[in-house]
Amino acid sequence: MASKIVTFTLNGRETEVMVKPLTTLAKALREKLGFTATKCGCYEGNCGSCTVILNGEPVLSCILPVEEVEGQNVLTLEGITPTEGLHPLQQAFHENFAVQCGFCSPGMLMISKALLDKNPHPTKAEIAEALSGNLCRCTGYDPIIAAVQQVAAGSNGNQGGSHE
Amino acid sequence: MTTQAYFRPRSLAEALGLLDEHGPAMLVMAGGTLAMPLINKGVSRPEKVMGLRQAGLDYVRPVDGGVHIGAAASLARLRAESDMPLLAEAVKNVAGWAVQNMGTAGGNLFAPPPAGDLAVALLALDAQVKVASLKRGERLVPLAEFYTGFLTNCLAADELVVEIQVPRPAGKAVLLKYGRLYTNTPAIVTVAVHLVAENGRTRDARVALNAVGPHPLRARQAEIALTGFSLDTAAIAAASRAAAAECEPYTDPIASAEYRRRMTGVFVQRALAQVAA
Repeated sequence: MASKIVTFTLNGRETEVMVKPLTTLAKALREKLGFTATKCGCYEGNCGSCTVILNGEPVLSCILPVEEVEGQNVLTLEGITPTEGLHPLQQAFHENFAVQCGFCSPGMLMISKALLDKNPHPTKAEIAEALSGNLCRCTGYDPIIAAVQQVAAGSNGNQGGSHE
Repeated sequence: MTTQAYFRPRSLAEALGLLDEHGPAMLVMAGGTLAMPLINKGVSRPEKVMGLRQAGLDYVRPVDGGVHIGAAASLARLRAESDMPLLAEAVKNVAGWAVQNMGTAGGNLFAPPPAGDLAVALLALDAQVKVASLKRGERLVPLAEFYTGFLTNCLAADELVVEIQVPRPAGKAVLLKYGRLYTNTPAIVTVAVHLVAENGRTRDARVALNAVGPHPLRARQAEIALTGFSLDTAAIAAASRAAAAECEPYTDPIASAEYRRRMTGVFVQRALAQVAA
């Protein structure tokens, strides 16, 4: 069947992409639209690297057909990164050494952003549950959780960011 | 071969029409959390795919005596909107947040063990599955009769799961999932029990298990061991032994068959002890 055009809002901008049937959102973002912050680790919904925010909810873009986001709002890491400097979550990840190889970071940042948007002051247990679908194979999870706690506490690294 | 067509029906009637027209050549998908990984890996190469997100099956509807769950209701919606704690507890343990947003109640019925834990709660609550076809209309199947084997079920080629109907629990229900991690973890065993007591004795018992058989199942011998007796230490021990004996565990990277069998006894015992407490 012929390709079709899918129109959606990507990081606040009306976007069109022409895709073959069942093309995933991740593939459309990375290969068609050049938005490569979103990473694909496992292609099967286990690792969370491809997490993006759809209408305020985290979803896995590598198992989501792009046709399903027709007319909807998609937010990727590019969309929360300011032109100058870093998003508070990015800054906190940097300060807490929550990034090592960096492959999981886009997904970790997006799921953390989705969590803080819904629950600005989560407990450590709530953070751990929210991040449980995102795998990191380098740093362990404590620095990542500490970074989210730091942003939730609204501090610059002096409070709420303890490594246990 | 790549997929030639991705259909997105806008109503149940349209979905049933597509299924009637294309039959088994068309893969039916709701949230895609089971189908898309297989398609991405090339294990599944469907010529045609039907996505059910727009088909009007995304609802959680309280009714007299229970709740009706649309087949395409997301697990997250079910967790948030159902007022049955057992269902919320089952969903909480199914997967991570993003997968709960994508995966659906109906789709979870097709997840092979050790996945598919929602069905354990649904079995304990004696849920029924409404299936429909274009030419033969609707029928209700008790969930306990839905599964016929590993990855097989009672659906005909032209039938679609459209709704899950859950009666309000008449007694006390408990769900326990045992995995290697605190959360988002495949089950070693998942147990749900629902018991109705009358004059100090168990009148009606349902014991459901997952990850210890080809599909989520009822532990009928354990139920018999409970029915008509008071829920004391002896009855609980007898039911736990029966469940451990009758389950059909398997070995996978999560746990050995022997360990799963032993833990089935342990967790049935713990779940029943919670009901008795």
